[in-house]
Amino acid sequence: MSDSHYVNDKPFDPKSIEVLTPEQEAIFLAPQRQLMWWKFKRHKLAVVSGIFLALMYLMTIFAEFLAPYSIESRNSEYTLAPPHNINFFHKGEFIGPFVYGYDKELDLEKMQRIYTPNEDKVIKLNFFCSGDPYQFWGMFSADNHLMCADIEEPVYLLGSDTLGRDMLSRIIYGARISLTIGLIGIAISFSLGILIGGLAGYYGGWVDTIAQRLIEVVQSLPTLPLWLTLVAIMPSNWSQVAVYFAITIILGLIDWTGLARAVRSKLLSLREEDYVLAARLMGASPKRIIGLHLIPGFMSHLIASATITIPTMILGETALSFLGLGLRAPTVSWGILLNDAQNIGVVALTPWLIYPVIPVILIILAFNFFGDGLRDAADPYA
Amino acid sequence: MRILFKTLVSVYCACLFFVSSSMAQEIPFFEGLVKDGKLPPMQERLPENPLQLNFEKTNKTIGKYGGDLRLIMGKAKDLGQITVYTYARLVGYAEDFTIQPDIAEAYHVAEGRDFTFKLRQGHRWSDGHPVTSEDFRYFWEDMVKNEKLGKKGVPAQLLVDGEEPTFTVVDELTFRYTWEKPNPSFLPALAAPSPLYIYRPAHYMKQFHEKYADKDELANKVADNDARDWGALHTRKQRQRRPENPELPTLQAWRNTTPPPSTRFIFERNPYFHRVDPEGRQLPYIDRLVMSVVSKDVVAAKAGTGEADLQARYLQFSDVPYLKRGEKRNNFTTRLWSLGRGSQVALFPNLNANDEVWRTVLQDVRFRRALSLGINRKEINEVIYFGLAYPSANTVMPQSKLYKAEYSQMWAEYDRDKANALLDEIGLDKRDADGTRLLPDGRRAEITIETAGESSEETDVLELITDHYREIGLKIFIRSSQRDIFRRRAAAGETLISVFSGLNNAVATETMNPEELAPTDEAQLQWPKWGQYASTNTKAGEPIDLDGPMLQLQLFNKWMLANTNEERMEIWHEMLSGYTNQVFSIGTVNNSRQPVVVSNDLRNVPQEGIYAWEPTSYFGIYKPDTFWYDR
Repeated sequence: MSDSHYVNDKPFDPKSIEVLTPEQEAIFLAPQRQLMWWKFKRHKLAVVSGIFLALMYLMTIFAEFLAPYSIESRNSEYTLAPPHNINFFHKGEFIGPFVYGYDKELDLEKMQRIYTPNEDKVIKLNFFCSGDPYQFWGMFSADNHLMCADIEEPVYLLGSDTLGRDMLSRIIYGARISLTIGLIGIAISFSLGILIGGLAGYYGGWVDTIAQRLIEVVQSLPTLPLWLTLVAIMPSNWSQVAVYFAITIILGLIDWTGLARAVRSKLLSLREEDYVLAARLMGASPKRIIGLHLIPGFMSHLIASATITIPTMILGETALSFLGLGLRAPTVSWGILLNDAQNIGVVALTPWLIYPVIPVILIILAFNFFGDGLRDAADPYA
Repeated sequence: MRILFKTLVSVYCACLFFVSSSMAQEIPFFEGLVKDGKLPPMQERLPENPLQLNFEKTNKTIGKYGGDLRLIMGKAKDLGQITVYTYARLVGYAEDFTIQPDIAEAYHVAEGRDFTFKLRQGHRWSDGHPVTSEDFRYFWEDMVKNEKLGKKGVPAQLLVDGEEPTFTVVDELTFRYTWEKPNPSFLPALAAPSPLYIYRPAHYMKQFHEKYADKDELANKVADNDARDWGALHTRKQRQRRPENPELPTLQAWRNTTPPPSTRFIFERNPYFHRVDPEGRQLPYIDRLVMSVVSKDVVAAKAGTGEADLQARYLQFSDVPYLKRGEKRNNFTTRLWSLGRGSQVALFPNLNANDEVWRTVLQDVRFRRALSLGINRKEINEVIYFGLAYPSANTVMPQSKLYKAEYSQMWAEYDRDKANALLDEIGLDKRDADGTRLLPDGRRAEITIETAGESSEETDVLELITDHYREIGLKIFIRSSQRDIFRRRAAAGETLISVFSGLNNAVATETMNPEELAPTDEAQLQWPKWGQYASTNTKAGEPIDLDGPMLQLQLFNKWMLANTNEERMEIWHEMLSGYTNQVFSIGTVNNSRQPVVVSNDLRNVPQEGIYAWEPTSYFGIYKPDTFWYDR
């Protein structure tokens, strides 16, 4: 009965049991990148957010073209005009998109300018037309706009501000600053976070101790007063671009600590793994080990914190400018636009001045959903 | 016989009426206290010769007693605003801007240098102690001349060319200040919104004074109050401008009952106040002032929801539409008073700027004229003030008797070509690629205009001016900071151009001090160092090295020595003309409107008034003690 337990001594071929269809093969043997993409696609909200973000960033590139008016354009005849409604049918007849021009009167009783749409004043909207001249990217002179009015009457799709400037144009131009400030800030805080956290986690010992204390010191600084001080020492004759970079750097310099902590703790655990030991024994340099073996191990975490940090940066800029500490007019950012809306009267009488809040909210939400999707995708086996 | 009888009856009736009416006249607020004998009846509380206000001249009505006047302030320091509003002064401005006796029963000026004041017989502090010459002697001898308390020296307004007055007590109610030379700024200083207080309640203050108090008791008080020494304690207890000490007897219409820190201060009526209405009833009509302290950003919101009965502070013209909306629901009216400033928003080129190149440019009158000509005042007026203000240089308003149209129009028309020509003329004719002019040393003509960052109105005006100046090749940056930093930077010469409101007193008369038109104070943004030189008696600052400001100062000194009003008038005109012709500050518009929220139940608040720090003390000259509730 010694052979009652039969063991086949031929090599086992799994394909003899289960034959993969070509489709299945494509899935199981798909490269990492492919898997991530599939995983990401399943997160519908993240896809939508991603597309939205892509569009918004495209908008910052083509702001001059997309905005109906140039950034300096101001019509003091129409201050605080409410948003125009876009209509298509005039007296029952389809004539394409148009708005009714405003009749304005000064109500000295209420101390308000009253705008009433005049049914006889049809302002047609043209597309790809000539309007305010501008320097595209500061290089080419052009005057093409996506949309403009066909007569010499202003069209304010999102209303106008206290000096008669178009809110829509200002929101589009404002996106340029508000959206990119996050990217630059994040680049700084990421490099610092990964570098300092990586060194601390990999080497441990006194390097770690110093890094930890440094992090604690930076974290213990109250952020608002710190911003105030840093902003106060910025010379007032700095150009707006310089101030802008200074603010991103300030935001970045304060923000790296959380990430450095996370990187450090991940590295501390990962460096004890066998494959790290193997790499070290094979003589790999610390740079190679950290960059090639360790960081990919917690890529998903990095992505998640990046996408959560960008909105923090955007909010940081908005908050600083809202408080009148960050950028200053005539620069246009969403924070600056909201700064104009601080007055109580705005909420009651001219609510369109608060509209820049809407893109801020949408962008923050989009980044959070997008980050959520990316994190799931970065770890496709989870 | 019959006639006699009739007369007797009528006398009897009159007596009855008098007795009954004087009984009924007691202020309801004090009825209980008077009945219990804790407070004497009204007739005994009033001075023998109270200040009887003339209601006919100011269109006021006889009122009823009672009610709380609710006010909103933006910081606890605004406690001092109450003494500005209530405006009881030794002598004070009447509504026609003449100086009239108030706490003093009478005053007499001889040769402009000898001032005799007579107090009211029977006038009492809010704690019932008589007001006498002793209170004035105490201030002069025991405070100003005291080694410890008088460290800061004699108040500047009491000095004429560095000379102190001779103070004499004539009798219990009469005293005199005498100088060798005339002191025309003495009475205006006494009548100022933040006046020179030359008296203290001596009977109360003596307990904190080394000379009078028992040594051990005073030491205990110093220790109890955590004060450094008796001098510090004395200083803390005696503050007149900011009524922080509820125990301190006062002569104002209401006295504070709440010690700071607090966010709600309650002022109760002063039972011994010296003013009466035409029927001889003691003022004020309103029992209490309730002042709440909130963040200044929400003052408009609160006023718009009816949380204030009388509010103008922290309200801006841009709040008007919002305030108007709340009127019906919350039973108030937004009145639009004239703002009594020389210019609502004015630019002050700093003639003492540290930057040498810029200083030369700013000191050139042609540059300042170009700056003034380059502003489109009409647009500012239309866009921000609904066309209700007057485009004007920074000078007196039409309501002032010193007003001349030429002052307000001097270099104030919009003339871009002329401005450009002037700038080319002074050597700023080279331009950069974007049209910005170049300074003589090759730098771009970029000017940072600094603001105290207190009103969005200022920023809006500045944005328009930025656009206007781009047209004449000047690039403007706006920097806003806090008021302290703003002032310090300007005083140190770090600022090129500051923006602030114009002349504080734009309804001046010839008897008022023209100090704002000459370098006399370091707080003056266009010549802080020269101003400091004058105010510190050449100890600090820099001597004036420019003809225009020098002339202004000489004229000012001449005014100080002038004997007649005609002379003063002439000097005022010369100074106004010099100031506007030299464009020492650049005005935009004046006479813009100040929203004043007034409860619909509140009477005797003028429909139209001038809202100004000086000389009206905001509501001061309209006498809030005559305001009353019709409920």
